[in-house]
Amino acid sequence: MTKDTIANIMSIESMSYKSLKEVNLMSETKRQIQKKITRKHLVEIAIKQFGENGIITTRTADIAKAAKVSHGTVFAHFSTQEELLISVIEEFGNRITQRIHELVNINSTLFEVLDAHITGLIEFEPFYTRLIIERRLLPESVSNTYIIIQSTISFHISIAAEKEIEQGTIKEIPIHLIYNTWIGLIHYYITNSDLFSPNGYVLKKYRNELLQHYMNLIKK
Amino acid sequence: MKQCVACGMPMKSPEDFAMGDLEKEYCRYCCRPDGTMQSYDEKLNSLTKFIVKTQGLDEKAANSAAKSMMAKLPAWKAE
Repeated sequence: MTKDTIANIMSIESMSYKSLKEVNLMSETKRQIQKKITRKHLVEIAIKQFGENGIITTRTADIAKAAKVSHGTVFAHFSTQEELLISVIEEFGNRITQRIHELVNINSTLFEVLDAHITGLIEFEPFYTRLIIERRLLPESVSNTYIIIQSTISFHISIAAEKEIEQGTIKEIPIHLIYNTWIGLIHYYITNSDLFSPNGYVLKKYRNELLQHYMNLIKK
Repeated sequence: MKQCVACGMPMKSPEDFAMGDLEKEYCRYCCRPDGTMQSYDEKLNSLTKFIVKTQGLDEKAANSAAKSMMAKLPAWKAE
């Protein structure tokens, strides 16, 4: 074999080795993308299933079936049922707080904040309803995420309420009671939505009545 | 849109940033009067107080939620 032939063979070999590596890299990235898509899909289906059928009563097998994947696939993404639940709640928490931040800013009036709160909750009502009904039966981390979601809204309520107390447009009520009276009112309707609005979203139906009533209560 | 590295608040307008400085990675609620960022303990303390003040929760429950919230934020991941 001549020197040239050997060099040619070597270069062909190194080329094919290189392209083989590229193919491997590509399929690796593809696999990673696919993995992310499946994970996202599972979380999406779980939010829907938990909202429709309850958080505690929904089994991983139900989620797998609704997502049209094998039961094993669920566990390839989440090692335990609790891990899946925590991922779902965190995703839910991120979405709803993001949405509330989009709807209000630190210059919003109290009425605008409460209105935005209802808008945000309507978008996530089925899951939120299950979350507030079942929270005490779920792991502690769920409670922490729940408080974090509530902090986003209590933050905006406190800024707007403090401003309006100072301006003299609403009564001098401690901030936590301004917040808890509002939450108490809307949570009462949400947790009993089967009685108030058996055919649809309770917050949509009562939004104006609850908002007006609450504002009248705290107005000076 | 930038998010405060210490509390997660989205920073939409200049007044949201520490000292109104758009270069800062943290918000007006996470800085000290001199503009530097609060320490982990200072932030945990102020966040706990904020939850107690605005939601009326027991301090222990508020502290636990504040810790779990901070654990997810870039400024405190190493804590």
